[in-house]
Amino acid sequence: MSEPFEPKIVAFVCTYCTYAGADLAGTSRIKYAPNVRIVRLPCTGRISPMFILKALQKGADGVLVSGCHPGDCHFAQGNYHARRRWTVFRSLLSFTGIPEERIKFSWVSAAEGAKFAELINDVTEQIRDLGPFEQYQELQKVIETQSSY
Amino acid sequence: MGIQEQYRIEAAELLSSGAVKLVIGYGQGSTPDRRRPVFIRSAEESKQLLLDSYCVANLSGYLVPEGLLSDGKSVGVFLKPDGIRSVNILTAEAQVNPDQVVIFGFDIENGNTKPLSGRKAIDFAPLIESMKSTGLSPELQHEADRLEQMSASERFEYWKAQFAKCIKCYACRQVCPMCYCRRCIVDVNQPQWVNTSSHTLGNFEWNIVRAFHLAGRCVACGGCDRACPVNIPLRLINHRMSKEALDAFDHFAGESADQKPVLATFRQDDPETFIL
Repeated sequence: MSEPFEPKIVAFVCTYCTYAGADLAGTSRIKYAPNVRIVRLPCTGRISPMFILKALQKGADGVLVSGCHPGDCHFAQGNYHARRRWTVFRSLLSFTGIPEERIKFSWVSAAEGAKFAELINDVTEQIRDLGPFEQYQELQKVIETQSSY
Repeated sequence: MGIQEQYRIEAAELLSSGAVKLVIGYGQGSTPDRRRPVFIRSAEESKQLLLDSYCVANLSGYLVPEGLLSDGKSVGVFLKPDGIRSVNILTAEAQVNPDQVVIFGFDIENGNTKPLSGRKAIDFAPLIESMKSTGLSPELQHEADRLEQMSASERFEYWKAQFAKCIKCYACRQVCPMCYCRRCIVDVNQPQWVNTSSHTLGNFEWNIVRAFHLAGRCVACGGCDRACPVNIPLRLINHRMSKEALDAFDHFAGESADQKPVLATFRQDDPETFIL
């Protein structure tokens, strides 16, 4: 019997808001889905689209990107810049056939521990419904099995 | 007097008076229907210059090499409207000084070349403004619409088949006037973001990254599309990015020299329909 599918989700979060929000969820003893691997970065402006591609390349079924609400950025403008970048990157991924539903973006502040937990649960359920990102992962398997590369 | 003759004379005059130190134009290529860039440094050489409907390459990329403009002298260059837009972008990104660029403007209409009046990029502003509404050719528009109507997984299969052909020759990068980074992200190996061998996954990543870096910068000169030895429809993916920049941020690449690069600026009321 095969094991039920557990999605792997990588979350790129900014240290000042969403990571603190995740911390609050933890200290408040709010339980949320364990499928998410959090990567803490200084700011959403630091999140390069390369990170998202790398996460997918390494077998993530979904990616979550989260930071401070507009106006709350520790560096004043990082999240505004990030927002533009995501708008463009999201449409690019969609155009190349990578489903938009697998890449999620959100704003979670340091005070929103409950929102963070709820967000992770929602995203996990949505990715679970979509199933593993086999289309992409098959390409990676080809590399791993063909020694000529 | 044809435009070719006219521009040869003007180039010779500018060179002999010392107004420009170099003229970058088109010369005879390896076959009768190909044109190759020529670099003219003296009035006598200016008779090598050709100008006809085969002159399609965007020569603005030849302005960027380090040291070319550092002596403060001017350079003449043959440019179509798309090339003039590229010069505006290069100016906005602090890669060229527009005062040092003397433009020999021309356009190709129904196989005929016609001169464009003006010598500096700013002289062409009304022309560029009028280009904002021109879209893709009907065939490409049809293909773009067909792709938009596909489901995500169909589109994935389409691009998988296209990118599987890629041999990572990077001709698309070399030909692009916007790809002037001294160290391209694919040449970075600590960390290795993009696989260098040409398997489909690495090709996917390379082509996504290339298109992303051209978002709001591509002027649709079509150089990458022509350079691609395996005919990947790069124009479609570039056009999708330009469309996004125009729709979401009202950004038309190369509209003026003081336009901020689209991803290096923001407005507080930028759209954010997708953020949870």
